[in-house]
Amino acid sequence: MNLNPPVRRRTVLATGTAGAAGVGLAGGVLPDPAEAAGKRYFRHGVASGDPRPTKCVIWTRVTPTAQATPGSGKGPKVTVRWEVAKDARFRKVVRRGTFSTGPHRDHTVKLDVTGLKSGRRYFYRFVYRGTRSRVGRLQTAPARSASPRNLRFGVVSCANLQAVWFSVYRHLAKRHDLDAVVHLGDYLYEYGPGEYGYGSDNVDIRRHDPAHEMVSLEDYRRRHAQYKRDPDLQDAHARFPWIVTWDDHEVTNDQWRGGAENHDASEGDYLKRRARAHRAYDEWMPVLLDGTAELGDGTRLFRRLRFGKLAEISMLDLRTYRSEQVATPAIDPAVSNPHRTITGKVQLRWLKKSFVRKRALWKVIGNPVMITPVTFAQLPGELVDPVSSVTGIIPTDGAPYNVDQWDGYTHDRQEVVNFINNHHVENALFITGDIHSAWACEIPNDVGSYPLSGSAGVEFVCSSVTSNNLKDITGTPSRTTSIAVEQVIMADNPHIKHLNFDDHGFSVLDLNAKRAQMDWFVISDRADRDATLRYQTSYVTRTGTSTVQRADGPVAR
Amino acid sequence: MSDLCSGGPVRRPAGDPAPYERGAADLATGRRTLLQLGGAGLAMSAATAGLGMEHAEAVSPRTRKRAYVFVIDGCKPEEIDAGLTPHLMRLRDRGMRWSRASSMPIMETIPNHVMMMTGVRPDRSGVPANSIYDRSIRDTRTLDRARDLGADTILQRLNRQGLRTATVLSKEYLYGIFGPRAKRRWEPFPIIPVSGHAPDEFTMRAATAMVEDYDPHLMFVNLGDIDRYGHTDLTGPTGVRALRNLALAKTDNYIAQFTRMLVETGRWKNSMMIVLADHSMDWSYPHRVVSLQGPMDSDPFLAGKVAIGDNGGADLLYWLGPAAQREKAVRRMQRVAARVDGVHAALPRTKKWMRLGPEAGDVVVFCKKGWRFSDPDPVTSNPIPGNHGHLVTRSIPFFITGGHRSVQRGVASADVAHTVDVAPTVADFFGVKGSPRGGWDGRSRL
Repeated sequence: MNLNPPVRRRTVLATGTAGAAGVGLAGGVLPDPAEAAGKRYFRHGVASGDPRPTKCVIWTRVTPTAQATPGSGKGPKVTVRWEVAKDARFRKVVRRGTFSTGPHRDHTVKLDVTGLKSGRRYFYRFVYRGTRSRVGRLQTAPARSASPRNLRFGVVSCANLQAVWFSVYRHLAKRHDLDAVVHLGDYLYEYGPGEYGYGSDNVDIRRHDPAHEMVSLEDYRRRHAQYKRDPDLQDAHARFPWIVTWDDHEVTNDQWRGGAENHDASEGDYLKRRARAHRAYDEWMPVLLDGTAELGDGTRLFRRLRFGKLAEISMLDLRTYRSEQVATPAIDPAVSNPHRTITGKVQLRWLKKSFVRKRALWKVIGNPVMITPVTFAQLPGELVDPVSSVTGIIPTDGAPYNVDQWDGYTHDRQEVVNFINNHHVENALFITGDIHSAWACEIPNDVGSYPLSGSAGVEFVCSSVTSNNLKDITGTPSRTTSIAVEQVIMADNPHIKHLNFDDHGFSVLDLNAKRAQMDWFVISDRADRDATLRYQTSYVTRTGTSTVQRADGPVAR
Repeated sequence: MSDLCSGGPVRRPAGDPAPYERGAADLATGRRTLLQLGGAGLAMSAATAGLGMEHAEAVSPRTRKRAYVFVIDGCKPEEIDAGLTPHLMRLRDRGMRWSRASSMPIMETIPNHVMMMTGVRPDRSGVPANSIYDRSIRDTRTLDRARDLGADTILQRLNRQGLRTATVLSKEYLYGIFGPRAKRRWEPFPIIPVSGHAPDEFTMRAATAMVEDYDPHLMFVNLGDIDRYGHTDLTGPTGVRALRNLALAKTDNYIAQFTRMLVETGRWKNSMMIVLADHSMDWSYPHRVVSLQGPMDSDPFLAGKVAIGDNGGADLLYWLGPAAQREKAVRRMQRVAARVDGVHAALPRTKKWMRLGPEAGDVVVFCKKGWRFSDPDPVTSNPIPGNHGHLVTRSIPFFITGGHRSVQRGVASADVAHTVDVAPTVADFFGVKGSPRGGWDGRSRL
């Protein structure tokens, strides 16, 4: 979801004034000549993901011949060796094997390495024809019974390559203190050049490949390949295991279970398109679908990852099973229709299990779209139901402004809030992407009687890596027009404690048994290839409180 | 009925003596020590026998270790913060804390205090709730008799080591069920009518006097104000909780005074202080009441054959019909209860995780958050807004602080600590070997 969908479809020719880079980006700095040679075969870097106590997914893509370009369907079947070691020089290899790949899977290599020790750092690499890939680093999750002193995750979302450079990923990769990176969706965008770029004029600082909206399997594969050629993204993947989910743009804008805003009949059957997108995602992302690293055995993305007794991350898929968005957000009572869903029945039942008390201390929910109600109607909850039943215009928990979020599916949200309340679930922590802005919120039990009625949990929303935010859309300088909007929203929604519409960056979520803290780091001008990073702010929620307060400073810079 | 206790006055069969009348007898025989503190009369009784298990006091070991267990009755973990309870918060933050601490079924005062002192679950202690249906007298009653407790306590265990033990319990029924198990015990006084507890001001004076006069190795203290004010706080359901917040602030100050005394008298450096609650608290509006007696009596099979022990947020259902029909009755009671508005779950009492013995009846019914039980009468049995006993009242604060070197500084754990962990922790602190037959159900948190 984007703040201003109409702008996105506007066709604006790339001016090139900001320096279009095309697709042939140079790789990152490589540590040794052998690995540099690996660029020939391993052009798309390496990645790891879904760390568990004794397992982790590792990934790469091999280019065995010049013809075997992504999406081409060309090139031979080949066998790639892989190794996992305790040390970066691979003197203590603990697991090794071979993996067969070929054009049937776009020459991607993805496997779930087993037999590792919990809470340990490992190094991994791939070898083809004696040439090694760069070395990646992964860390397994702590054992289920372990009590780690803390856990630290990078949190990112919404990276539009056309908009600008991935400086955010570059700075993320420089950190040494993360257990994993959580990507909350919109890892890539479907648009063609000129359709969604930099700022209000949609300037394409870089141009998407293929040079049109991705629809076919070849399109999706090529687009994934293009993003994976970005050196900053490659560095971030090589540095940490990633825990990912998709939002809409991995298929197309505002997708729902039967269609999407950015899909029409000329683009063919929607479900077939989505299946192609999911296939490419499965091939190109270091993620378990349906619980395995195998291809074609299912596309269930929602899953839980446990980090000892301290935390469990439940990653949601809020696109594949959702009902269609309502057409008229402000007045359509359907947002509260109990037959409409954002999670789907099965996933909602599964989500409730994520809150079961015996699970880890922090119930972290990787939540692609915002769950906190954002309302302009401050009525006590006791009155909303009658007013709603009379007028039919007010959803049961407030007037929403963005019905692509949980605001458009209030029945599911109420189910979650009720479950948390009835089971007295503590430490429910939603981390969210999607809306290209930074938020720290309490999720009210009842908007109208908040704060007396308390909160069901808290939500921290990270800003976008590059995708346009409010100031980019309005074309105004940072911290000018957005401030007024932020203040109006916070005044109408006292459960929202922090809001920033202007910056791009990543967040760091640090968890321990006393509190969870989110630090927001932002970059300077995103159009600057050498954009710098600075710390912006931090918010904390203490265990058992479901409230957020501003913190004094970041856990680490 | 709720802990207030469970419906106002404590339930005691007619003619049964009040458990603390034994203290009055002590006074009459001259074994009672009266302490005058600030004009208030505090009565401390000296009891040396306990259920026939205690013998002549052994020579007191020379250990300087002191353990103080403070139960902030009914406190919610989030209520310990910088606003109303800054001293408790400071103590918590300087010690060892468990962010996922939990009361255990039934989330009521008596069973959880018993679990703290015995280290075993109700299926082994015989104390599953505040209010039960006693089949021997064919009536409901409060479990407030010393003989109701069928397990050894840490008090007795330390007594046998020659250590000094004391209880300062603000509630009459706690004074009753622990009976003479501690070597010294304070009889709660003055008692607020209906609530059946002594205000924290007096309880803390007694605790201070107990330390100054008797210097027990282990002192077990219950502070009842926060729970009692919570029960009766009509602003509770609105979230204002004016009365309760007042109690929180006052009790916090009393704790501060007590710890200051420990520091000033040099005891702090040898002390371990366990601070926890026995259960949490939930509030309900007057129309959010569940009464199961009516639905049970409306069922042709169950009519007249179901008794209910009301524990505020949990009803215990007892089948009074033929034993051969018990299985069928359990299923029927579950089904009938589950259909009633406000019921969260109706479970067979034999569910393993609850660890409840036959004293808890045949079916355990928990209400939803924001509801309460009122049985047998839907109007008069339980009119109070604040209740516990149901699952949403499990979360409790639990921390260990103090100056003794075995207390780590500023650490927090994601482990789940329980009320049943107190006894093994105290045993571990004093280095007392052995465990109850069948082992502890809890574990040391040191």
